[in-house]
Amino acid sequence: MSTGKRPLRPATQLLISIAIIALAVIATIYLFRYPQKFGPFFIGALVVTLATFLLLLLLRHFVLIWFSYLHQRELAQDEHPEIYPFVSIIVPAYNEEEVIRSSLSSLLELRYPYYEIIAVDDGSTDATYERMKEFEGNHYGVKVSVFRKENSGKADTLNYGVRRSTAPIVVCMDSDSRLTPEALRYAVRHFGDKTVGAVAGNVKVANRHNIWTKLQALEYIEGLNMVRKAQAFWRSVNVIPGPMGIFRRTALLGTGGYDSDTFAEDFDMTVKILADGWKIHYEPKAVAFTEAPEVLLDLIKQRYRWSRGILQALRKQKHLLTRSSGNVTTPLSLWYMVFEGLVWPAMNIFASLFFVWIALIYGMTKLLVMWWLLLTILDLLIAIHAILMEKEDIGLAIYSVFYRMFYVLIIDVTKLFATLEELVGLDMSWGKLARKGRI
Amino acid sequence: MRFDWVNILATVIFISIVVTLILAVASYFAYKVREARRPKTAAELRQEGETKVFFSEYKPQ
Repeated sequence: MSTGKRPLRPATQLLISIAIIALAVIATIYLFRYPQKFGPFFIGALVVTLATFLLLLLLRHFVLIWFSYLHQRELAQDEHPEIYPFVSIIVPAYNEEEVIRSSLSSLLELRYPYYEIIAVDDGSTDATYERMKEFEGNHYGVKVSVFRKENSGKADTLNYGVRRSTAPIVVCMDSDSRLTPEALRYAVRHFGDKTVGAVAGNVKVANRHNIWTKLQALEYIEGLNMVRKAQAFWRSVNVIPGPMGIFRRTALLGTGGYDSDTFAEDFDMTVKILADGWKIHYEPKAVAFTEAPEVLLDLIKQRYRWSRGILQALRKQKHLLTRSSGNVTTPLSLWYMVFEGLVWPAMNIFASLFFVWIALIYGMTKLLVMWWLLLTILDLLIAIHAILMEKEDIGLAIYSVFYRMFYVLIIDVTKLFATLEELVGLDMSWGKLARKGRI
Repeated sequence: MRFDWVNILATVIFISIVVTLILAVASYFAYKVREARRPKTAAELRQEGETKVFFSEYKPQ
């Protein structure tokens, strides 16, 4: 991220990160070791916070289930348009030689009458460009154009592709994603409503072969897509995912294109479109499969980038938290993001520590077991509901047992540290996840 | 012998939460170490005002 000043040396950054971790650990130990030092107010505050946490959890789940159900019912009545508009698909790629063939092949198999593919190599140092060139030309009416430019990041590469497109509908995707044949046909139907500026696709994990990727598959279904479904009922989806975003060209250009000053260009673009007064829909049948990180450190790297990117974008658009463009759901949607990104992870970690502390100090093991059982049953039911709605593999539901107590806790710790580092203002780089070529 | 299932389950939950939290902090630390040691890309070098001056990448034909 360009900050205008010279970034800190990696060793200095590392030292600051260690200091943040040490401070967080010491503060937590002190807080729970000597609660009497904080007086009865502290104990009271703990109990109120915990009760609020459980209440919010139940409320959040109920609201999500209800509105996602309403959205599902609404979609069942929607019809396909009689005329399909011309669509440009932009595929930005940087060092994606393992997956680019699979991605471009999936695009040539789309059941859509009228579209073009614009593949842009962002100065890759591997064979990405050569692999792309194999697809250049005309494939039964689908024109594939391949471009190469100097490395300048994903946002700039997407803008480069958009500038070379002419279609009224533009699809921006990741080069490690594979679209299903019907994806475009379903997504485009929502543009019949002239107030819809963009449609979010349904992203699913392709490589489900270890516990990390299976947990992510469940998270995408339960944690991300169900939230989008609920938000789509109000036409205020707050993240158009990078693997598949479908935009009305005028809406995309009206924002001035993607910005390079955050690490979550997809979220940043979503906020800008909402700020311009457009509605954003979600199409569950516009499915894009993506390659999820397969090892823990890569997962942490991805979530660290997401968390800081979202905070950067929120900071940029903070005026929207209190002011809407005639649409009251936009600030609500953004506040939800603040809640999920900042408040929720801290509360979750805090609640876990609190119950462990109670069990240790007061021997209230029954409370600990009851709390765990309540959350696990709740997660299991939500997982089954979300899986059935998406007609997904029901076997994934069993992973919900590990989801809150194990997976979410790890992700929340990462989010918390990412938030602290963003507040401190540590420099960060985009980095690059190693691809296994499993899409 | 009669098992106290509540205590056993509570112990399992307690250990799993503590181990997960330690694992999460340790993994985050490991990630930071790995990032600090990662070679920088051309774009990152440009952003920091540094350039590769000694050699360009050799690719065998």
